Amino acid sequence: MSATGPITYIALLDGGSREQAVEVTRVGPGLYRVRLGGRVHEVDAYRHDHGTLSLLVDRKSYSATLDERGDRVRVRLGASVFDMEIPDERRLRLRRAAGRFTVEGKQTLTAPMPGKVVRVLVGPGAEVAEGQALVVIEAMKMENEVRSPKAGKVVELHVAEGQTVEGNAKLCAVE
Amino acid sequence: MPPRRITKVLVANRGEIAVRVIRTCREMGIATVAIYSDADRGSFHVRNADQAVHVGASPSRESYLDIGRVVDACRKTGADAVHPGYGFLSENPAFARAVEEAGVAFIGPPPESMEAMGVKTTARRNMAAAGVPTVPGSPDPIADEAEAHALALQLGFPVMIKAAAGGGGKGMKRCDGQADFSRLWQSARREASSAFGDDRLYLEKFLEQPRHVEIQVFADAHGGCIWLGERECSVQRRQQKVIEESPSCALDEPLRRAMGEVAVKAARAVAYRGAGTVEFLVDVHRRFYFLEMNTRLQVEHPVTELVTGLDLVRLQIEVAQGGQVPAQEAVVRRGHAIEARVYAEDPARGFLPSPGKITYLRVPAGPGVRDDSGVYSGWVVPQFYDPMLSKLLAWAPTRDQAIARLVRALDEYTVHGITTNLSWLVAALRHPAFRSGDYDTGFCARYQEDLVARPDPTLEEVALVAAALSAFKRDTDEAEAFAARAGQASAARSRWARLGLSRVLRGGTP
Repeated sequence: MSATGPITYIALLDGGSREQAVEVTRVGPGLYRVRLGGRVHEVDAYRHDHGTLSLLVDRKSYSATLDERGDRVRVRLGASVFDMEIPDERRLRLRRAAGRFTVEGKQTLTAPMPGKVVRVLVGPGAEVAEGQALVVIEAMKMENEVRSPKAGKVVELHVAEGQTVEGNAKLCAVE
Repeated sequence: MPPRRITKVLVANRGEIAVRVIRTCREMGIATVAIYSDADRGSFHVRNADQAVHVGASPSRESYLDIGRVVDACRKTGADAVHPGYGFLSENPAFARAVEEAGVAFIGPPPESMEAMGVKTTARRNMAAAGVPTVPGSPDPIADEAEAHALALQLGFPVMIKAAAGGGGKGMKRCDGQADFSRLWQSARREASSAFGDDRLYLEKFLEQPRHVEIQVFADAHGGCIWLGERECSVQRRQQKVIEESPSCALDEPLRRAMGEVAVKAARAVAYRGAGTVEFLVDVHRRFYFLEMNTRLQVEHPVTELVTGLDLVRLQIEVAQGGQVPAQEAVVRRGHAIEARVYAEDPARGFLPSPGKITYLRVPAGPGVRDDSGVYSGWVVPQFYDPMLSKLLAWAPTRDQAIARLVRALDEYTVHGITTNLSWLVAALRHPAFRSGDYDTGFCARYQEDLVARPDPTLEEVALVAAALSAFKRDTDEAEAFAARAGQASAARSRWARLGLSRVLRGGTP
């Protein structure tokens, strides 16, 4: 079997603030040459059941489990969990353009999980401080406060007390 | 209480504890009935039981907390006993009465004992009268926020706001100063109302650096009452226990015996029957104070099962049939047991619950490991109930070995699709303060930063290799599948050329 590749992937780490290129060439069945950070590793990969990869990297044995959700992948090795993204070219460009996360301008707050709005602590137009609780959502029998990421003014309010919301539903916006 | 034979148990609960009870029933040759809400039709306990009855809509108040519907499910199925598990109706005397009035045995204490302990303020008064030391606080539930605020100032901050009908950390808030009092009081009140259908609250002085140590007791209807050792439950987040172990490093043998005897005294004072837990706070001077008595099986009961070798659910059923508890001298505790609660939650986001679909699940095994779980691969963890997925336990001859064994087992635990606290648990178990045994209920807050699990940086390259190989395999499989369908080698080559080009664009460097 002739070599396949190389294909170079760009992995985004630490929420996109770091990038790492990984070049993969398949040199035989289950055998790969991986160039990473200026070093080349000989890797023997065996795919087990769902999401589990047995890796022999330079003869050391690792069991990696991969929890893949679209571009995002959570790789676990023992107690270590690495969150990364391997976006395709278009999304990589978008991510690079977006730059660093900031709290400048209008910040829209969304429901961190599906649940019920039990309290709305502010009205439209209210001046709020950074860290101030704005909305209280009950899920799984516990109350969770959604707090303002910045000092500013409530410019939008999308929910009312008693309302059921889905995860990521817009709650309010602070500017 | 005349002897009665139990042949069919309705488990008035859900999730892991329902599965736990069903397992023992099966071992005893007793038939089982599950109940379930709309959200729980696919729940693990439903398919483990011999029969199952739908009891209502997903919110617990409309299903698991509806006494009429649960009693009705007993009638429909001919169950002759009810096991309430923990939480829900387990400490509700009205439920115990309704069950007994329907001619069904309630596997738990008499309703009068529950009443004496269930309203936490009454319990404190009863215990003080019986000569059991208690934490300073309000003698009665407080109806009025202003009154509560005044008492908090009198006790001095920090204070604990607690639900009079409470337990399990629901409706319980620590308040450090008067600025937060109103907000926390109202939040506790809503949680208490939603969790127990009873919004009465009371206050207790918060002790500095207390350890939470509880004694398992067991009483029968023939005057027998024994204690089965302690459980150390000081690792708590959001006032909920996360890691429990036995024995406790804070106790020596004389203190252990003293607390055991006080716990038995507390149980006898309320004519207790069945499994119960007397919770104490132990302060830095090794003085202990009665906190509350939980008149039910605890979440962490398997810790005691591992050190004593007893099956507490079996013992509960035997006592409910009129049987006797073993003699105190017959209870032998050996080795060390430790439990970690696996939650669907994100420790990095303030332990925010993380409901959703479990896309893959693999549980640990091997020597000395026990997993009491209520979930399976493919199950959607609903938003309506407690986010606990499972309790993982390890037993070993010594504490160090038990911790090492639990860490090893947690490393094997794999849950995909939702966020869990697995890495957090490992970080907590490995923390020097935990390892030393010298920790208190402030452990989680004090070491919050240390406990946010950081991956081992030396493994980052391996993780990158794994992720890249997985992406490579997906991409090449797609390309090969395309080629196979096209049925032409040339098509495969051209597809490969295209793919190769797109990768060059993607990565920038070929």
